[in-house]
Amino acid sequence: MSIKFDEHNKYHRLVRTSIITVVSLIAFVCLWWLVSKIANNAAIPEPVETFQALFDLIANGDAVTGLSLSTYISSSLSKFIKGFLLALVVALPLGLLLGNFKYVREFVNPWIEVLRPIAPIAWAPIFILLFGYIQGATFVVFIGIFFPLLTNIIFGVSKIDKVLIDASKTLGASNMQIFLKVLIPSTIPYLMNGIKVGLGIGWMCIVAAELYATPLGGIGFYVANMITYGAFPQAYAGIIIIAVLGLLTTGLAEYISKRVSKRMGMDA
Amino acid sequence: MSKDKIKIEGKKYDEERVRADRTDELYKHIKEGETLMSIDNLRVVYVTDDSETVAVENFTLDVKKGELISIVGPSGCGKTTILRCIAGLLQPTSGKITIGDKECTSPGSDRGMVFQDFALFPWRTVKQNVKFGMEIAKVPKEECEERAMRYIKAVGLEKFADSRIHELSGGMKQRVGIARAMVMHPAVILMDEPFGALDAQTRNIMQEQLNKIITHSERTIIFVTHSVDEALYLSNRVVVLTKRPSTIYKVIDIPWERPRDRASPEFTALRKKILEYLEMQNVMED
Repeated sequence: MSIKFDEHNKYHRLVRTSIITVVSLIAFVCLWWLVSKIANNAAIPEPVETFQALFDLIANGDAVTGLSLSTYISSSLSKFIKGFLLALVVALPLGLLLGNFKYVREFVNPWIEVLRPIAPIAWAPIFILLFGYIQGATFVVFIGIFFPLLTNIIFGVSKIDKVLIDASKTLGASNMQIFLKVLIPSTIPYLMNGIKVGLGIGWMCIVAAELYATPLGGIGFYVANMITYGAFPQAYAGIIIIAVLGLLTTGLAEYISKRVSKRMGMDA
Repeated sequence: MSKDKIKIEGKKYDEERVRADRTDELYKHIKEGETLMSIDNLRVVYVTDDSETVAVENFTLDVKKGELISIVGPSGCGKTTILRCIAGLLQPTSGKITIGDKECTSPGSDRGMVFQDFALFPWRTVKQNVKFGMEIAKVPKEECEERAMRYIKAVGLEKFADSRIHELSGGMKQRVGIARAMVMHPAVILMDEPFGALDAQTRNIMQEQLNKIITHSERTIIFVTHSVDEALYLSNRVVVLTKRPSTIYKVIDIPWERPRDRASPEFTALRKKILEYLEMQNVMED
């Protein structure tokens, strides 16, 4: 049997990608099974045990604490969303400001360059000490999302097509009108790109913070707790949930970002 | 639209005030063929870290109301520089540009501009692009809509009024650019190699269209081009520049009726003469 895929047919491409993805995932599980057999260690449970634990988690929740999966997820998500919104509210005006004013940017740039490379989770102990558990975790997410957002917005402002500014001037626009009607819209695709990158990092941050500081609760706590009890299949089930949620968040952001770029007539 | 309606709807709309979207009305008192704009002794020097380049020198020109005046010159001369100075996008080193008796020092809606690379807002539709200037000038919504559609029709894009810019061909994009500039009724329209980015065929169609537009409306247009053919086909007068530092070599009156025949003997003869001059200038540069 031979199957021919037409590269120019959207439907064909989709079918081909789906088939490859499914086969790849099956291969991954087989590999995992093989590794668990060879390692013969409780810390690497077999796929079947893990999926059983996963279905059990989805259906009956956590047997140790009695909490449901949705409780864990909503606990993680609420901290995540708070951190994200905070980052957006701070980074957007700051990015536009820094992008527009060269001297302010040159002044602030050293701060950014010093702070940006620090792994967000490194702030967790300090933030938790300063703001308590819940707020502390929010700030860890904030730090994770803030820098990619900020740098993308600054970049977007710098990438603005100068001739568009010229055109608006010859149509009578004031500096304020140029800012509102030209600069902000042309920065949006870059902002979306920043959101996309930021969400991925932010999700890692919240799980890491929960793993580090178990009183935070959330899905990270669940994984950490299961590991303490030696319930590895359950811990792995939690990790799968984390992976799926992370995929969903970035996938959603990617989709929105593409739509926005298309709508704005740009490919950022 | 009646005047009363404007008064009722436009809250901030002061009819006594100079309308930013109708600056041509400011110069009603100037008759066609009289001087509308004066460029007096323009000089532009570009300063870099270690050198000074005189781009334009001693450029003096009176632009008459209702004419299309082209500026041609050897490649790399200051054609676009002059136009950007007139638009107010570039500050000349010295010299004065006036419309009527008003000196132009900064950009304004009295000098509309059409750009070589279109400069359209990609996030706006065709109609929204054409409306941009009127939004800035706070033209009442109904009038804004009516005028935008009128000009979109004039350039033959009524079917694409709600299309996005990336869906259009180059020629269509530039028609949006022209409509966006014309809809504002500027005193002067500046065109910076407007058809330079288009293929030869589209270019001819666009020249034809512009020809129609200028014969039906009394617009004052300063047109920068590197195509002598285009200049002769469209202009009332052609300004030929020297190589850098650019100054005026010659201003040629083109009295021929429109539409012009590119194959006529006088057309080809004059084109040849100008091309020979430009060629000579370019050779001298080497």
